[in-house]
Amino acid sequence: MNPSSLKSRFTTRFLRALTKINAHKPISSSSPGPGEIFQRYRRIKVAADKSMAYSVRSRRTWSRATLWRLRTRSPRSRLATHARRSWVKTRSTRAASHGKEKKEDGGTVEAEELRELVPGGEAMDLCNLLDETAHYIKCLTTQLDILDRQECTSREL
Amino acid sequence: MELNAGTAGTGSLKTASERDEVAALESLQFTDEIRRLMSAPATDNASSFTALLELPAPQAVQLIHSPDSAKLIAAPPPAPNVDDFKGSFNFPFNSGLIERATRFSLFAGDGNINDNNKSNSPEPTSYNSSANLQKPVKSEPTETESYQPLVSDPTVENRSTKRKDREKVKGSTKKSKTGAKDSSDDAQKLPYVHVRARRGQATDSHSLAERARREKINARMKLLQELVPGCSKISGTALVLDEIINHVQSLQRQVEFLSMRLAAVNPRIDFNLDSVFTAESGSLMDSNFSGMVMPMMLPEVQLNGNRQQYPQQLHFDAFQQPVWGTEEVCNNYITPENSLLSYDSSGNSASLHSNQLKMEL
Repeated sequence: MNPSSLKSRFTTRFLRALTKINAHKPISSSSPGPGEIFQRYRRIKVAADKSMAYSVRSRRTWSRATLWRLRTRSPRSRLATHARRSWVKTRSTRAASHGKEKKEDGGTVEAEELRELVPGGEAMDLCNLLDETAHYIKCLTTQLDILDRQECTSREL
Repeated sequence: MELNAGTAGTGSLKTASERDEVAALESLQFTDEIRRLMSAPATDNASSFTALLELPAPQAVQLIHSPDSAKLIAAPPPAPNVDDFKGSFNFPFNSGLIERATRFSLFAGDGNINDNNKSNSPEPTSYNSSANLQKPVKSEPTETESYQPLVSDPTVENRSTKRKDREKVKGSTKKSKTGAKDSSDDAQKLPYVHVRARRGQATDSHSLAERARREKINARMKLLQELVPGCSKISGTALVLDEIINHVQSLQRQVEFLSMRLAAVNPRIDFNLDSVFTAESGSLMDSNFSGMVMPMMLPEVQLNGNRQQYPQQLHFDAFQQPVWGTEEVCNNYITPENSLLSYDSSGNSASLHSNQLKMEL
């Protein structure tokens, strides 16, 4: 097992985050209500995304976008989202000008969808977008793998 | 430019003319015009001629300067896409063509080329057989792959694909005419653009750049097709992209789903890194989770200090889970790996976890 691979980096971070989450929550002996579980779910999901994005650092656009998104979630929302939107707009127009001049039939419609899916994909031309998508898919599968295993081990009785 | 339909001369002089012309033409822009010139007398040889013209300029100059062509002949073995050059290499020789070629060089400060040409015209007579011609041309594909003066990568990739396409695209010299005119303008602006256009394709810099871009995109799509399962069979950009989009969406949903599960499952867990890395997903595959009801257990956690052992000794604290209503069956996204993975650097982190858990108690 490569100690410095993406998988191991993600795993360490994620497990640390999980322990933190478990430490923070007061454990209620009765069955936790759906609200509680939902809260936990949010936290765990955020932890998973965050740890994955941190494992990739700023090497990839999507990780940068994810970290940005996570940082400026609710509290400082308005200013942050406004700034982000204007930045995205300028970059997307620039990308559109040299990326989609001659409309590649079939390429633009799906490309738009892909841009929405991949974080940070709004302001990228198709070429880089495909690159990011490939890396993003690879990281998502890693994330799923670790999550799944963690869930399996924690389900064991 | 008028065309002197020259009669076929001796092989040596043919190669001489070619070398000269190649040297004279340092950029693609004139190949089209030359092609046009040469195609009239010998249309069947056009492909091989253009192949020769694809010799990068320094190499061509080298061919001229070095009478021992043995260097180039002993060069790398012929590349696989040599099939294009199978045709006969009988170029109609015309000494007038040499002069015309030298006149073609419209470069502002490139009088050197003309000088080189004129001074070296007697030299290439040492090239005797057309076999010599074949080998340099054959080695050319490999040379051009590595040759990259001021050309970006896409254009180099372009050459190989263009060569393949040339087999398909034959004739239609009219396009090359118009392309040549545009390209001659480009030549003066960008003297260093060493890009070879396909025969019959426009040599406009815009279209070239766009073609390069398309090649890039196609290469990346191929990679993505390999990543996404079931995508390699699909042909067509739009459908492939649809598949990719679906895959990404499903992956994201699965992450949410699994994290929801984790939230429901583990209030308190001993995070044994080894257990995470070893194959435990088999249990998930076998059992059918309907409702995810877990028996209630006493909140006791038994810390297992020995990281080497498997988690059978661990007692997991689990609370009764609410019935979720949805039948959850673990489906194919779980990839059970049955190989033991030892996590070497887990020493610090695992002890950290156990310390944290001890603190909780």
